[in-house]
Amino acid sequence: MLETRDALTGNECAAHAVRLCKVDRVVGYPITPQSSVVEYLAAMVANGEMSGEFISPESEYSVMSILKGAGMMGERVFTATSGQGLAFMYEPYFSMSTARIPMVMAIANREMISPVTVWSGLQDTHSVRDAGWIHLYAESNQEILDSIIQGYMIAEHPDVMIPVHVCYDGFYLSHQSAVVSMPDQEQVDAFLPAPNVRQMLDVNAPCMVDGNTPGDLMMEYREDHLWSMKQALSVIEQADAKFAEVFGRSYGGLLDTYRLEDADEVLVVIGALSGAAKDAVDDARSQGRKVGLIRVRCLRPFPSIQLGELLAGRKAVGVVDKSVNFGWSSGIVYQEVLGALGKARLNVPTLSAVGGLGGADIRKDHVARVIDLVHECAQHDKSLEDTVWLRPDMLQD
Amino acid sequence: MSTMDTLMNNEDLVSPGLSACQGCPAELSLRTAFKVLGPKTVLGVPPGCIAGVGVPGWGLKTGMKTPVVMPLLGNSASLMAGVKQAYAKIDPEVHCVVFAGDGATVDSGLQTLSAAAERGENIIYFCYDNEGYMNTGFQKSGTTPHGAHMSTSPFGPYSRGNVGFKKDVPLMLATQDAAYVATLCPSHVQDFVNKVQRATEVKDGLCYLHIMSPCPTGWGVKPDQSIQYARAAVESLYFPLFEYDHGTFTISRPSLRAGKKPRPVSEFIAGQRRFRHLTEEEIQQLQDDVTRKWNLLNKLAS
Repeated sequence: MLETRDALTGNECAAHAVRLCKVDRVVGYPITPQSSVVEYLAAMVANGEMSGEFISPESEYSVMSILKGAGMMGERVFTATSGQGLAFMYEPYFSMSTARIPMVMAIANREMISPVTVWSGLQDTHSVRDAGWIHLYAESNQEILDSIIQGYMIAEHPDVMIPVHVCYDGFYLSHQSAVVSMPDQEQVDAFLPAPNVRQMLDVNAPCMVDGNTPGDLMMEYREDHLWSMKQALSVIEQADAKFAEVFGRSYGGLLDTYRLEDADEVLVVIGALSGAAKDAVDDARSQGRKVGLIRVRCLRPFPSIQLGELLAGRKAVGVVDKSVNFGWSSGIVYQEVLGALGKARLNVPTLSAVGGLGGADIRKDHVARVIDLVHECAQHDKSLEDTVWLRPDMLQD
Repeated sequence: MSTMDTLMNNEDLVSPGLSACQGCPAELSLRTAFKVLGPKTVLGVPPGCIAGVGVPGWGLKTGMKTPVVMPLLGNSASLMAGVKQAYAKIDPEVHCVVFAGDGATVDSGLQTLSAAAERGENIIYFCYDNEGYMNTGFQKSGTTPHGAHMSTSPFGPYSRGNVGFKKDVPLMLATQDAAYVATLCPSHVQDFVNKVQRATEVKDGLCYLHIMSPCPTGWGVKPDQSIQYARAAVESLYFPLFEYDHGTFTISRPSLRAGKKPRPVSEFIAGQRRFRHLTEEEIQQLQDDVTRKWNLLNKLAS
């Protein structure tokens, strides 16, 4: 048996994935709920379990800056962050994707301040969905581990060359243990070759990086970045399929589906809340209702065509978000789904539900209520205008 | 190699054409530094005058004969530390160098610079100090002297100019045990070259070289007076030249000479547009600050 099985937290899974990917340099700064990822990695380097180097600077701003320096030298690099840490590194973070440096970053998702919170929510990465990175969202601890390994394959693909973050709900996944299969090093080596990334700064071949750039050239860079985002759609699917061949596990590539085939009414969810949502779908199915689920695994690039195809012919769609879109007064993934429906010219009634902010729980009963409301949308062939808030008290009446 | 040989024989690694203001000593300092550093150097130039004049290049053309990157305003020390960490595994002899203005160094970049020194990153960090954000229109920075008229600290009926006091980052880094700290001035080239040479020999930590860089455009003096003002800054002890080398402070020879019979600070500020509103009391205050700082430095070096 090549793989071993163990009970690990999501953060431990992230650290083990980094070890298995033989990352050259980890730069880490503590922030809840991510901190133990970089602690585990620091210990692995100190104990000789990992050959890379670990650097501990003074802020996330420096974390991403050091990574950019080392990344420009062609190293395989990693960090993990959450919430405010991601916000603090925004300036070098944006320049990492636009300099096309193919790293992987783990995000233990955290709600954004104000007011002060350290708990779960997807507002941190959802707020930077258009900063040029690839966004993968995991449902389980196993998927965190596997997606980081896939992440380097995706990021370093010559048609992509875009950094990837692997996002997972803080505390729900970062801190809770689950039994996972630990891939063997030889398997990972066979799956993921050593990086073949250009050393941009070379005294034997001097060139300039990130110089002042006129608009016409800037347009070319952005057009190329968007082209690569499009290529990433198929590269992500290929990576997941190849991973399935080697390890026997697959996550649906871009979109994970559950009991969808004959479903009239569909829930779209993201992240770990899909666990409760799948249970609620099972309950509805046991009552003979044709309900199915789509989990958005990849938010950027957004698989709009693939989602449109999955939603064609459905009678209503409900989207459960763990973040808010302030300008649209709805959830964020909801707007993405509306975009996919519009692009596919599908006139399907929809609703937006928001829950799980700042660590609030989304229970199976919440999702059951959403399923009921989606059913009402289907019956009346009408979208719900107001966003549904998944509060504890909605379950009391 | 003597200073003259270094300057005469070594290749100028900076583009022959740059759009710096006439009389800009920062450009001169960059060219001089690179004659010592040599071609096995990677340069980081954050936004500021030296980036604005085309050293990191424009479009697809570079302004350097060495690799060059433009970091963000505040992250040069971290970014070049990352480059150096990776380069150390490929070729430890390659110098990884920052050439940053005072705004990018003592204001927004101070956190990353201090942390790089604390971690002992083996980079060479130059700060050319023209005492303000000169590239963006002469705004006040953390090294702008007290009372100076700047576009964000203007003199007027309700203002006496800059309320802050010039931040002393060389002393700050020396007291947090950076490996090597020095102050340099383009008016004293031999001292300048010696200090850059020393920085290239240090392999066990961060080197911080702080260059006095009079700005004709921003200070309101003539282009052919910039070296004259640089010399006056040293000879009035407004900008003392010193070294901190692995725990030991040494006052450099030009400043030891100047210290025997210093010129009054009023001679340094005379003719500068940014100081022309100062009263005699305010000038005396500047003089007292300079004397106090000089006495402190002498205690540290004794």
